[in-house]
Amino acid sequence: MPEVAPDIGREEQTGSKSDLEPGWLVICWNDPVNLMTYVTHVFQVVFGWNRQKAEFHMLQVHQQGKSVVARTTMEKAEHYAHQLQKYTLHATMERES
Amino acid sequence: MKLIRAEKDRFTFALGKREKALLFQILQLYPLVPPAHHQLSRSGDGPAHAENQRLLEEALAEQRRENRRQVLTMLNEPTRFREFAAGIHFTLSAPQVEWLLQVFNDVRVGSWLALGEPEELEIPEINQTNAPYLLAMESAGHFEAALLNALGVKNPPRRGESQA
Repeated sequence: MPEVAPDIGREEQTGSKSDLEPGWLVICWNDPVNLMTYVTHVFQVVFGWNRQKAEFHMLQVHQQGKSVVARTTMEKAEHYAHQLQKYTLHATMERES
Repeated sequence: MKLIRAEKDRFTFALGKREKALLFQILQLYPLVPPAHHQLSRSGDGPAHAENQRLLEEALAEQRRENRRQVLTMLNEPTRFREFAAGIHFTLSAPQVEWLLQVFNDVRVGSWLALGEPEELEIPEINQTNAPYLLAMESAGHFEAALLNALGVKNPPRRGESQA
């Protein structure tokens, strides 16, 4: 499978000054009960990613235990974390160090 | 449960009578994940963390109430399940597939939590207490996989396999 470089936060980084301030990370953690296809699908729906990018992050969750799926403002991080949790994925938001 | 027809915004599945009974049994379990299971943050970092956590739990609870209402409505709709000699046809719109995926995964994760969060492939010893949860977890996964298959979501190829 070709390596896909994640472009997390690219959209936000071109935005207003507040978007460029220290950000928040949305992290999706591995719960072994979730089907791989389910996680891929949820990433596509929530972030609008194509299948290749969604699979890259799904495999990162599966193999490394977690994946940073967004780097953004607090408001957007809350929104994404909530969306992922609606689908019962284990997602949190953490301040970027 | 097998997809027999996919139109623009409409999916029709075929299922047997026993499978329909199992589907109803699984849907009646929703919601299974405890409200406090979801944590907004692991570090508890940020302003007003406790307040945000409370808001998250409220929002998720509201969404589950709405999902539960839709589940009960769906189960009682006379035209949702149409009986034929060969089995039962079950029709869903694309948005209904989406919320049903959330419902099944809630039952699957909730059952897994009740089983003590076993690691992948680690099947606990079956007893009277955990058997219903094992059945619910596996059945919810079965229905979830059927819906994902209808949406065309497939597992990524393993290393060395070519992409289909």
